[in-house]
Amino acid sequence: MTEKTPMLVQPARIRRYVGQAVLRAEDECLLRGTGGFLVDIPAPDAAEICVVRSREPHAIVRKICTDRALANPGVIAILTANDLDLVDEVLPCVDMIPGTLDVRHRVIARDRVRYVGQPVALVVAANRYLAEDAAALVEIEYESLPPVTDHMAAMNPGAPLLYPELGTNIVYQVTQVDGNPAFAAREGDLVIRKRFEFHRQTAVPLETRGVTAKLIDNGERLHVESCTQLPQMLRTVLARTLGMGLDRIRVTAPRLGGGFGCKEMVYPEEILVPAVARKLQRPVRWLEDRGEHFASATHAREETVDTEAVVAGDGTFGGLRLSGWANIGAAFGFVGNTPITAMGAMVRGPYRIPNLDARMFSVVTNKTPLNVLRGAGGPQAALVMERLLDEAARKLGIDRAEIRRRNLLHPNELPLDRGRTGFANAYHIIYDEADYPRCLEAGLGLADYANCERDRKEAAARGKLRGMGISMYVEITAVGPYETARITLQPDGTILLFSSIMPVGQGSETTQRQLVAEELGIAMEQVAIRQGDTDEVPDAVGTFASRGASVGGAVGRMAARELVSNILNCFAAELACDAAALRWEGGGVIGPEPTEEFIPLAEIPARLALLRGEQEPQKIEARYRLEVPKPSYAYATHIAVVEIDPETGRLEIPRYTVAHDCGKVVNPLLVEGQIVGGVVQGIGAVLRERLVYGSQGDLQTGAMMDYVLPAASDVPADFRLWHMETPTSFNPFGMRGVGEGGSIGAHAAVANAVADALRDYDVAVDGSGPFTPAWIMEAVNRPLRAGLGQDRAPHP
Amino acid sequence: MSGPDREFQEAAWLDSDESRTAIRVVVNGKQVRARVPDRLLLSDFLRDHLGLTALKVACGEGACGACTVVIDGEPARCCTLLAVQTEGAHILTLEGINAAQGLNRVQQLFQQNHAVQCGYCTPGWLMTVYCMMHRSISPDSDEVAAYLSGHLCRCTGYRNIWTAVRQALGNAAEEPASGEK
Repeated sequence: MTEKTPMLVQPARIRRYVGQAVLRAEDECLLRGTGGFLVDIPAPDAAEICVVRSREPHAIVRKICTDRALANPGVIAILTANDLDLVDEVLPCVDMIPGTLDVRHRVIARDRVRYVGQPVALVVAANRYLAEDAAALVEIEYESLPPVTDHMAAMNPGAPLLYPELGTNIVYQVTQVDGNPAFAAREGDLVIRKRFEFHRQTAVPLETRGVTAKLIDNGERLHVESCTQLPQMLRTVLARTLGMGLDRIRVTAPRLGGGFGCKEMVYPEEILVPAVARKLQRPVRWLEDRGEHFASATHAREETVDTEAVVAGDGTFGGLRLSGWANIGAAFGFVGNTPITAMGAMVRGPYRIPNLDARMFSVVTNKTPLNVLRGAGGPQAALVMERLLDEAARKLGIDRAEIRRRNLLHPNELPLDRGRTGFANAYHIIYDEADYPRCLEAGLGLADYANCERDRKEAAARGKLRGMGISMYVEITAVGPYETARITLQPDGTILLFSSIMPVGQGSETTQRQLVAEELGIAMEQVAIRQGDTDEVPDAVGTFASRGASVGGAVGRMAARELVSNILNCFAAELACDAAALRWEGGGVIGPEPTEEFIPLAEIPARLALLRGEQEPQKIEARYRLEVPKPSYAYATHIAVVEIDPETGRLEIPRYTVAHDCGKVVNPLLVEGQIVGGVVQGIGAVLRERLVYGSQGDLQTGAMMDYVLPAASDVPADFRLWHMETPTSFNPFGMRGVGEGGSIGAHAAVANAVADALRDYDVAVDGSGPFTPAWIMEAVNRPLRAGLGQDRAPHP
Repeated sequence: MSGPDREFQEAAWLDSDESRTAIRVVVNGKQVRARVPDRLLLSDFLRDHLGLTALKVACGEGACGACTVVIDGEPARCCTLLAVQTEGAHILTLEGINAAQGLNRVQQLFQQNHAVQCGYCTPGWLMTVYCMMHRSISPDSDEVAAYLSGHLCRCTGYRNIWTAVRQALGNAAEEPASGEK
């Protein structure tokens, strides 16, 4: 990894913050254990809710009997669908397009359950222990229906239908075409046809979900606190479902203990808990336990993709044809169609490939609803593309780096219109300024690609199977449609930024304070930030799609610029001069000629009060709304090296290399943290993690003991990172997003490295695995490929 | 916290006829006596009843380490222990090793190395590092990996945690964690 030299900020001296490895001020409370997560916020009067969930994957609910449960100690109430006074029970999905069938998620099951974990009833009791006791006594009479868990089987005639009135389980279709979609192979072309399978995963933030709700302002308003990446969206949905005016609802979101996309959702419990508070006229709280989380927080990634690539003899890809089917579970997530859409839209990554015909579908099954997870379809897209490139290279006898060189777009071909898409918030894909070939060469050099065959032989001598895998991707980041921010110069002369970007661990407090301090030319210590309160920022979009720093930071900085303009206007009015006679410099106002007096920021409110003859200094405010018509595109090269022990199936990653470009870097320390964290999540995804359902729709991985996350021992021994900084013209400050790329690149790089390590064995790496030790042992115990194996490791 | 027997008769338990047991423990150097419901988890006792909320419950089954505290010198998961099992024990939580203000030496190393992202797992790591330092574990020893394998972090990718922990162990001899009681 590149050397990093963290610096502590010296308030009076350093005024340049963008590009500096500023340490995070928010670490102090986190390290002292006073971070203020939802679970830490005292709720002494709140009754605790336990959600009674379906244990059936697919059934008609005949009867719910609560008599025994109600008689249990400490029970306050038990509520089912009819008790909640909801005026609407539909949860939002923002990526439906014309022709989409409406399978939006419902707040609570009425007559039918469609997945294990679906909320059916709510037990309210004096504490969680007593609530769980009673929940176990709620009797639900089900009439079981045949479940369907496999999305390919769900498309067969005669398959059980989740929504019989729709007549099909295929609920969404999007087509992405570019160039000539009717392309065909010419004589001498190589045609590769492969089916790729991606397994079901889930985000597993260390903090589960939770919601508290209580009436405030003499019962006039509802205050809902939730672990969400989308507080403003939640407020809108609460107003609709509860039938209350927007101004009667305040949503706050505390600091999140990780999100990764699974908190980019409006969940049933986020409506149910406030509905209970309103119904019972008392504060209530629901804290999700880990078992609930596995069954009811959104899942991710599962899809099948059929591909057909037409490749000329020199390795250039002429066209790509895809059919993809996402297993979206029982209902739409908030952006449940986005992964499969992004897969089709972005599969070509940085490669030219003039012709594309991608037809993607969402299929409902009796599983937990699917939603985005870090990368949102990007990992699947990159894995398909990069496996196809390696396959073409192998069949044509072309070096794996060379085949990429021959297909990469060159800087003089950019910006490039890659066609329209159904992708939410990015309806038209236009690649911005980039240098993909330079990014590839940087990665190859840093990874010592030139010596990978020598290293492979050396490893074989030690009895290890060594492989190297390359991947590249282009990711849609910094999406719109817009974002808002508010900033005030407080009466005490400090700056307070109200941001719509949630702190989820990415360091958004520090990044945004850096940008505002840089804009105003002041010390970061003069800038405070508040986040996640709809009373303070009522209208905003939210924290997802790698837009926190790139969009949220940009709008905060623009608001600071607006604030300067407002301050200058205030002075101009009092001094009876033109605002143009004043200027902002060095963190304060320079007055009009001839004196050109300097008034530092901290003294401005007092000075204005003096000029106005007022007793109390006033605050000065500015708001900004940044329209984001075009997202910007981040890209990277990842190169993984793996070593496999064929006797045990153990896989190690001795070296991992990333060369990436997220445009202007605000804080290299935090960017590096995002990349390393994302890479290890990607490694976990293809080597460890897997959600397993039984054939009858029962979720078998319901705990952290079952769902194996990457651990401290899974870190690559030698991590090499190189930042390219190509500012994008699509963002006011040249920023591209960086939160998700680590995961996107790692899926494909590790899969390619595994395939390379096992290239002498007759094994297909056609998907995300996971490539567990058991999978590896099965692979190495197969016969070798015919005619290969000269340099294979000695094998028992 | 110290003083006469404290029975947990919060409204939360009033209606129930829970079986209770009296326990005496020392938490962060202070005597605590309480009559607790037999099934009360140690994590809930510390968080909800004693207000020691630094520890986090993330998995509820001893898999992730976020709830790690130190019991009689050993790192222990308090989400899979009952409060009554700690009768007579000395319990140390993060509050007990925090400096009066600011960050202690190990915490500073976590900050300087960006070994914290969301921070939910962080208190657990700090308690294990505390035990490692007290046992003078060498930063180069294989035992480091064994200790760290007891914790999950979903954000950082562990790399910066490794660095912070090794630096803490390397400096342990000359600079013990400050703020200890």
